Amino acid sequence: MTPARFLETREPAWSRVAALLDKTKARGTHALSEEELHGLTRLYPAIAVDVARARALHLDPRTQQRLNLLAIRAHGLLYRKEKVPVWSSLWRFFAQDYPRLFRRLGGFVALAVTLFVVTAVGTYATVVMHPTTAYVFVPGPIDSIDGQDGLSGKDMSDRFRRMARPPMAAGIMTNNISVAFNAFALGITFGLGTCYLLLYNGMMLGGFAAHFANHGLQFSFWTFILPHGALEIFAILLAAAAGLRLGLSLAVPGALTRSASLRAGARDAVFLVLGTVPMFVVAGMVEGFITPSDLPGVPKLILGLTLLALTLLWLLLAGRSPRSQLP
Amino acid sequence: MALQDFDRIETPENVELELPLAGIGSRFIAGLIDTLILGGTLLVLGVALLLFGGLSFDGIAENVSVDGWIVAVASVVLFVVYWGYFWGFEATMNGQTPGKRIMRVRVVKEGGAAIGFVDCAVRNLLRVVDGLGAYSVAGAFMFVSKRGQRLGDLAAGTLVVSEQSTDYSAQTDKRVVQLWEVEASANALRVTGLSPEEFRALTSYWLRRDQLSLEARNRVLPRLLEPVLQRAGRSASGMAILALEAEVEHLITRANVGQADGKTAP
Repeated sequence: MTPARFLETREPAWSRVAALLDKTKARGTHALSEEELHGLTRLYPAIAVDVARARALHLDPRTQQRLNLLAIRAHGLLYRKEKVPVWSSLWRFFAQDYPRLFRRLGGFVALAVTLFVVTAVGTYATVVMHPTTAYVFVPGPIDSIDGQDGLSGKDMSDRFRRMARPPMAAGIMTNNISVAFNAFALGITFGLGTCYLLLYNGMMLGGFAAHFANHGLQFSFWTFILPHGALEIFAILLAAAAGLRLGLSLAVPGALTRSASLRAGARDAVFLVLGTVPMFVVAGMVEGFITPSDLPGVPKLILGLTLLALTLLWLLLAGRSPRSQLP
Repeated sequence: MALQDFDRIETPENVELELPLAGIGSRFIAGLIDTLILGGTLLVLGVALLLFGGLSFDGIAENVSVDGWIVAVASVVLFVVYWGYFWGFEATMNGQTPGKRIMRVRVVKEGGAAIGFVDCAVRNLLRVVDGLGAYSVAGAFMFVSKRGQRLGDLAAGTLVVSEQSTDYSAQTDKRVVQLWEVEASANALRVTGLSPEEFRALTSYWLRRDQLSLEARNRVLPRLLEPVLQRAGRSASGMAILALEAEVEHLITRANVGQADGKTAP
């Protein structure tokens, strides 16, 4: 076939593909009717072959580039993952994929929990033994509420009671999810940024807890922290585990190339952190509406620990049987 | 010399395609446009939040006012816009944000396929790190990585490609077709005594001379023709541009005749 003949016979197909592709500019394949989409899938392989033929025939660069571009655009449009319905894939994610991911990345979760707990306990012990070191972690003014010296549990909860609750719940929720996303993203620093976040927060919790304990307010403190904090801190630790997964995939690629390892790590990690979002929503609701409420301390504590226990049960038990729970 | 970087990909049809990568400049401007849109939206929402928030936080505890709910909704919206702007647009607009749309660049998977929800999540959550120091981290990685990928791209396995391609959708020029067909003929080369490279260069020049400035024509053509003329014992120096172009036309016409005489199909 001569080049002229080639161009002449193939031109209609190219124009047709170009027209179809122009239609998809804004909304992708949704802009095409079923018939048009079928047309495109039939035309695309021929276009790909045309690219090779144009190269073999040494056609002019402009035609080669034009064909290359048509093929690239059609390729990008047609080769993609199968789209799954949003709700059933969300259900599947939380019913089995996420618990399985949690169990697979259990080592990273354990590492994050260990770092956090060891730091918190260490700080707690330090502050209990040397009470003045508390002011490294605790802002001084917290001791003198309403001009009165000394710390009381009532002041603490009064303060929060004075705030409007819906904005508080929303503010806490969004802030915590941001912290979780940051814990994941900071993992890219070979995990060092995530470790910093873990140690910092561990020290804050340990420092505050010991400071309140030094004033004999353990019960007020924990009834103030745990109702929402049990789940919230756990979710932050999951996000930190995601950051560690990302960081270690970069630092210790093993048999993979570093970029392939990073890619696999990022995928695991982003799933691990995205799954924490509902936990933060629940914890934020509790923190905004229940923690500052007039309920007595014990039911609040029970609620917080129950939420954490249910979450752990879900993560440890769901999705154990193969292909289970698929609707 | 490359005017644009390409990434070569192989399709399942075993054809190698060239993916034109977006330049750092278009990406920067696209990012700037997006940042301005995002920043403006956040500013408006933030001011609204402060106005309403100022009212409700002064108010007293127990009566949960309507203001309170507005603030709550606004802060959730603020959050969703802040984290979701790039993520949401890229996931729903096939790898484009408004800024990328204007600059005609698009995010695709390495290999040219369309990106998915999770790819968007990875590359845009890592924006936190890439964006440090006014995107200087991203810039550094884009210079160092082979295919202009920032950290988020490397982790998600994505590329930003250019779709600036006005020329190619035009119908192929008939003259181009004939001339390139001529080039394939050994006869034409024999008749004119040109090497294939020379023939290609001269044909390209001939087809584009209308689009070139006089200065460019004066600069390019003598250099192209000099070796050809020297073989005939002449020199391009001192010849006017029109005379030189007449030489080119003459050569190409002779090649056409040679083609017609030879009638050898390639």
